[in-house]
Amino acid sequence: MSTPFPKGTGSQYAPASPRAGGTSRRDAPASLMDRPSALPEGCVAPLVDLVTALADNKHALGLRYAEWCSSGPTIEAGVAATAMAQDELGHARVLYGLLEELPGSPRRSEHEWSAADARTVAFVERGFSDWPHLIVANLMLDRVLAAVLETALDSRYLPLRQRARKIIEEERYHAIHGQSWLVQLAAEGPGVRAELAAALRDVWSDALCWFGPGDGGALGALVDAGVLTAAGDAVRRRFLAQLAPVLTAAGVPAPLKAAGEHWELAEPLPWDRWDERARRVRR
Amino acid sequence: MQTIGDEPVYEVFARRVEGEPLRHVGSVAASGDALARVYARSIYDEESWLEMYVVPRRAIIAVDDVRDEAVDAHA
Repeated sequence: MSTPFPKGTGSQYAPASPRAGGTSRRDAPASLMDRPSALPEGCVAPLVDLVTALADNKHALGLRYAEWCSSGPTIEAGVAATAMAQDELGHARVLYGLLEELPGSPRRSEHEWSAADARTVAFVERGFSDWPHLIVANLMLDRVLAAVLETALDSRYLPLRQRARKIIEEERYHAIHGQSWLVQLAAEGPGVRAELAAALRDVWSDALCWFGPGDGGALGALVDAGVLTAAGDAVRRRFLAQLAPVLTAAGVPAPLKAAGEHWELAEPLPWDRWDERARRVRR
Repeated sequence: MQTIGDEPVYEVFARRVEGEPLRHVGSVAASGDALARVYARSIYDEESWLEMYVVPRRAIIAVDDVRDEAVDAHA
């Protein structure tokens, strides 16, 4: 299998789309929105909340990955964590840039970033006490944020769509990293598998609530306006379809059950404690 | 299944521009093909490679027996 590396320029990782590409706007339908003022009234606030939480979590995840730069289980693993840290911090910067154009955005700056008002989930706030925790964050949080951004690949809001394309291209390798390491760690024995399962339980609600309730909740308005192409159950189902085979292969238990062609949650998510604006489960 | 620190070595080959020969740029140790790809990409990122490949070192066969010793010295 060929492995081309089109750093910064390649587009073969982007899904085929008749209106792909930010530079050939001539072909773009008139319905595309290229500036914040083109967004429908009810879309700005939910978009600001979503982008803020995406960027804050990515920033925090980048800092956490960076803590393992020189202490990974192998030199290669440390370098890969460093590369993922750089990617995540870069994604956060790009998404903060998107916020600057949007009215009503919270103030964020690279130099003044503080965890105090950051809209981050508990798992990333607590930090990764060991490598299995980093891998579970890699497998769950990193992938969940990527899965939400994937719903912006064909966004009608061009500033988001262009940024999402670049981010998703890099996220491919984060996915391979998380999945491969999960299987490798799990093969070490029941002790490590139990540790992975415990970390998974810890991150489970935050990660899976992130897609929003059934119809997407606050993200529903963004789907209606074409800013996102999907939210809620539809995206969660797609995510579980990718996650379940990896967990099964690794032998790590999770509250999932097969339902015909797809996978369903065996336990309900704590929607009564879900903070739709900060995008995290209240604790 | 290898234990950590005892993984097989993959040689990394890459090409910068169309028409340029594929050249050896280094090696990585990884538990499998997938992680070898991730590691090669993150470690040998000094160039914008047009394409990059990882090859398990065990798949590289010495042509001349006389060179076996020198090849083994790299292992």
